[in-house]
Amino acid sequence: MRTRYIQRGAEVSEFSQIPIWRRANKKDLIQIGFGLFVVFFVLSSYITAVLHLLPYDPLKINLKEMMQSPDYRHILGTDFMGRDILSRIIVGSQAYFMPGLLSIIIALFFGIMAGLVSGYNGGMTDSIISYILDLIDSIPKMVIILLAIAFFRPGIYFIMLIVGITNIPTVASLIKSKVIFLKKRNFIEAGKALGLKTRDIIFKHILWYNCKAIVIIQATLGMAEVILIETSLSYLGFGVQEPEPSWGNMVAAGKDYFFMGDFFLSTAPAAAILISILGFYLLGDGLNNLLEWRRKR
Amino acid sequence: MKYTILWKPILKLVLREFFIAILLLLSVSILIFSILKLAPGDPLHIFINIQTQNPEEIAAIKREFGLDRSIAVQYLSWLNNLIHGNFGNSFRTGRPVFGELIKVGVNTLILTIGSMIVTLLIAIPIAVISSLRRCPFLSWGLTLFAYILSSLPVFWLGYIAIYIFTKKFNLFPFLSAGAASGFRINWIYFLLPIIVLGIGNGSISEIIRHMRAQLERVLSEDYIKAAKAKGASIWRHSFKEGILIPVTTMIAAKIPFILGGAVVVEQVFNWPGMGRLAWQAALDRDYPVIMGITIFAAVVVHLGRLSQTIVFAFVNPQTSEKGEAA
Repeated sequence: MRTRYIQRGAEVSEFSQIPIWRRANKKDLIQIGFGLFVVFFVLSSYITAVLHLLPYDPLKINLKEMMQSPDYRHILGTDFMGRDILSRIIVGSQAYFMPGLLSIIIALFFGIMAGLVSGYNGGMTDSIISYILDLIDSIPKMVIILLAIAFFRPGIYFIMLIVGITNIPTVASLIKSKVIFLKKRNFIEAGKALGLKTRDIIFKHILWYNCKAIVIIQATLGMAEVILIETSLSYLGFGVQEPEPSWGNMVAAGKDYFFMGDFFLSTAPAAAILISILGFYLLGDGLNNLLEWRRKR
Repeated sequence: MKYTILWKPILKLVLREFFIAILLLLSVSILIFSILKLAPGDPLHIFINIQTQNPEEIAAIKREFGLDRSIAVQYLSWLNNLIHGNFGNSFRTGRPVFGELIKVGVNTLILTIGSMIVTLLIAIPIAVISSLRRCPFLSWGLTLFAYILSSLPVFWLGYIAIYIFTKKFNLFPFLSAGAASGFRINWIYFLLPIIVLGIGNGSISEIIRHMRAQLERVLSEDYIKAAKAKGASIWRHSFKEGILIPVTTMIAAKIPFILGGAVVVEQVFNWPGMGRLAWQAALDRDYPVIMGITIFAAVVVHLGRLSQTIVFAFVNPQTSEKGEAA
């Protein structure tokens, strides 16, 4: 009852109450549409790979059909061992998809927790948490990841766990600054005055009503970063190993043919990387424009 | 009107940040040291496999490198050496770590800082143009262009660049940067990787977004309207808050990211940098080298942040009066 009252009161959130579909403009919609298209592309290729609905076996070597240019049988051509490039690109999305989700979930969960606690409590708790986050932030991500790979020879899930941990400070600092900003607003004060539980204020009125946008945007940008890191690692030869396809090691395998004039071998997976990262960036940016649209003061 | 710089609070703030940075570096070294000791693998295997199986000799080697003592004692002796400016000797080559670190560290720093400058040269004009809102279509096109640039995989871009320069223009037989010996430095060896990393490091779009948001906010402030009304230059008035602060923020935030991208570009261009040294050292469990590299990277990151604090304090003395960094 009391919650409803606060909701109907002057302000619940700092965002505009105009519904999204009214305030969207064409640019944002184009960006979001392209982003959603890419998400659909990635999701469907993941499902195709899981269900084995591929046109060709991605691992099957067929030396009779080596280095074919694109035609109606092999839509994206074949590589230097006669393997179908389209099938390999589709299966390559498996290399980062689930591990990437794991890393995003870790980064978001711990980032949100740290941000909320240190923003709302302040004082000593804040200092300790910021110190730990600064500690994570002071070593470049790639150095941590390379060291971990060299020491533990981990699988892709462990690598993505580390990527998730290194992404915690970004999420936490965004959430924290938002919480500090919101804490002084009237509707939170009113909630406290009405005797709402602190748990309700933090999780419902701060996180759910006002921080949804940050979380969604960070998730999309996180996926773009995961693709970047996974492809870089498997390009360097540390991620997914050769017979198993990954976009990064496909580019690396095609590089020897690059100087003979066969661009397609490494350009096709590079284009897949480009389009997916671009899609997630544009989705994040479009959502940012749409959801973080402030009311004119 | 001339305003006086309040040196005392700024100095206090910078000292505070410096102290915190030192504390963080200490914690980083403790963390990395304990992970090194907990990780499986033994630095001795490179000696033992090759030279000896005799337990007494193994014990002697251990004693020589100080590996027979407890972890805490090892760490403290490492720290003691560090304070005296000695990073220890590499297990593998036996040479002092400091010299090797400087040699490859300078290469990596050139790559990182150079590509940071290239990135800024691309990003700042686009951000300024699109924050003016004179021509929405142009600004959207430029932003889209920046997004495409920042999602290009940097290794593929590297191959394209090498291909264009070697095959099409016949500019040079492609060798590594290390082959450019002596004083006759072929500048293209240095410029090509720097430009490739500057374009493809993936942070252009984020820099543009941050800068555009800040510039738009500043340009809509009242003091800019006042400046416009009296006919003064807008850019002189909005430079500090609208350009200087976002640029320093982004430089400090993106240095670790570009250091990471440098590892990949070093591989593509055969650039003798820190990434390769780190990888080799980690494989060999070459503890002093790994510690040196980690500390070096952390110091670079913290130098970036410290310079950000200094710029903030000078631009906006309020932050230093409160005694907290913005």
